[in-house]
Amino acid sequence: MLYLKRFFGSCCRVRTERLGCMVEAKNLSMKYGRGGQYALDDVSFFIDRGEFVFFVGSSGAGKSTLLKLIIRELRPTDGVLKVFGRNVGRLPRHRLPYLRRNIGMVFQDFRLMDERSAAENVAFAMMVTGASRREIRRRVPHVLGLVGLQDKAKSRICDLSGGEQQRVGVARAIANRPAMIVADEPTGNLDPGTSLDIMNLLRSINLRGTTVLVATHNREIVDLFKKRVIYLENGKVVRDEQKGIYTGV
Amino acid sequence: MSVTSKRGFTPVFSSGIFYIIGETLKGLYRNRWMCLTSTGVVVVTLLMLGLFMLINMNVGHITETVKEQVEIVVYIDEYASQATVDDLKQRLQAHSGLREVRYVSSTEHMDRLQKQLGGMLEGYDSMEDNPLLASFELRTNVPEDVPSIALELETYPGVATVFYGQGYVEDLFAVTGVIQIVGLSLMVGLAITAVFLISHTIKLTVMMRKREITIMKYVGATNWFIRWPFLLEGLLMGFTGAALPLVALYFIYEYAIEWAAVNNLLFLTLLPLQVVIYEVAKYLVPLGTGLGILGSSFSMGRFLKV
Repeated sequence: MLYLKRFFGSCCRVRTERLGCMVEAKNLSMKYGRGGQYALDDVSFFIDRGEFVFFVGSSGAGKSTLLKLIIRELRPTDGVLKVFGRNVGRLPRHRLPYLRRNIGMVFQDFRLMDERSAAENVAFAMMVTGASRREIRRRVPHVLGLVGLQDKAKSRICDLSGGEQQRVGVARAIANRPAMIVADEPTGNLDPGTSLDIMNLLRSINLRGTTVLVATHNREIVDLFKKRVIYLENGKVVRDEQKGIYTGV
Repeated sequence: MSVTSKRGFTPVFSSGIFYIIGETLKGLYRNRWMCLTSTGVVVVTLLMLGLFMLINMNVGHITETVKEQVEIVVYIDEYASQATVDDLKQRLQAHSGLREVRYVSSTEHMDRLQKQLGGMLEGYDSMEDNPLLASFELRTNVPEDVPSIALELETYPGVATVFYGQGYVEDLFAVTGVIQIVGLSLMVGLAITAVFLISHTIKLTVMMRKREITIMKYVGATNWFIRWPFLLEGLLMGFTGAALPLVALYFIYEYAIEWAAVNNLLFLTLLPLQVVIYEVAKYLVPLGTGLGILGSSFSMGRFLKV
């Protein structure tokens, strides 16, 4: 909760338990470059605390752009995007780390530090928050245990399989008990069996109360999970369904 | 619960200085080949710069020594009265451009001549018939002022003639001037090359770790949390890259002094070892260390904007 306080500013004491809406987009637009096309065009939606949401659509539909806006890798061209109730488009740069400490990120290409061990990768995410050595020593094996990698704690990332690397990615994402997990094509580089394992992992994290947002092409998984689906096409939301499927009804 | 500062310095220090040192050493070990290559480039570049500085300093010292040996000889008119000579001496001693005024009597001139010619003047009664003029031997504060001061002294009463090696001195000053300008230009050129080479090598070392920096940003690390270990790595690489050439230069210069002494090259009046090494260290250590830190800092800048 400390990081949320930092994120909101010293005068504002907000707890995620009190926040109903985790993400709120209002007429959100994003255009790359000056003369470029809109990657997102007048998009509006909101996501409640504890939801599991799939962002689906073909390549270039705007899924990844939307996730990048949520983690404030990009600033919106137009409209308002509120994360944890705060307009991230206006978030000063020095508050960015505190936003990101509340969002666990999982990437298609894992984005792990290859020269470090699985435990070191998870520990680093905790270290940046100023967690004590004792807390890190206690939490890292626990988190690696949750993703089934307790035996691989000391293995270097480059010695792990793709599926194991993504599990480390998930472990790192949940290490700081974030309010929300954002996963951009988390199964994009994995075989179907491993993909299902990773998605089950994300579902179990969601069942513990963490909001999970997943951008994916994986039709089978979306159809299997029957969660909320936001379908994007050419930067616009064309469908937003609870317990939806990839192609819609 | 720790308190985190607005700009994010505290997480680094709450984890302690040991975190920074630990991460720095781990970073150096993990990227040991790249770091060794970078340090190697710094060592070679600064060794070349240091060697050139040694040569340039000594060339400068030798030319200065040669220039300082240039003196003006003011021959006193043989008919000048004692009062005129005393007055001339006072004026010369009061002259602001002169640092040394020495009276040489005609007898002393004869003694010198006799010493120079050996036994050739044996039997010649110098006391009875000495044709040599008494003189003042003068050294100027600035060697380059010799011709102008000599010209001025010719007008003084009691002066028969002024000699300072007219023609030769102007050539000497021209040659030493060219040597110094060329030496300085080469050194500045080499220093600029060193700056570019070292900063680009350090930049390359940081760029190789762009992915690592970006990942740190994604997990919520503050810029300073990421920066500290990199700055310390840059500092260590730069400092090592400057310290090793200094050790090498110490031994090279010590050998050069011994070699000049053994070979009786007395005209090579080399500067003392401690003075030279101190002078070179004064430039190389801040240059290496500063470039290490600045190179790391500037190279990281754009990767931190994620």
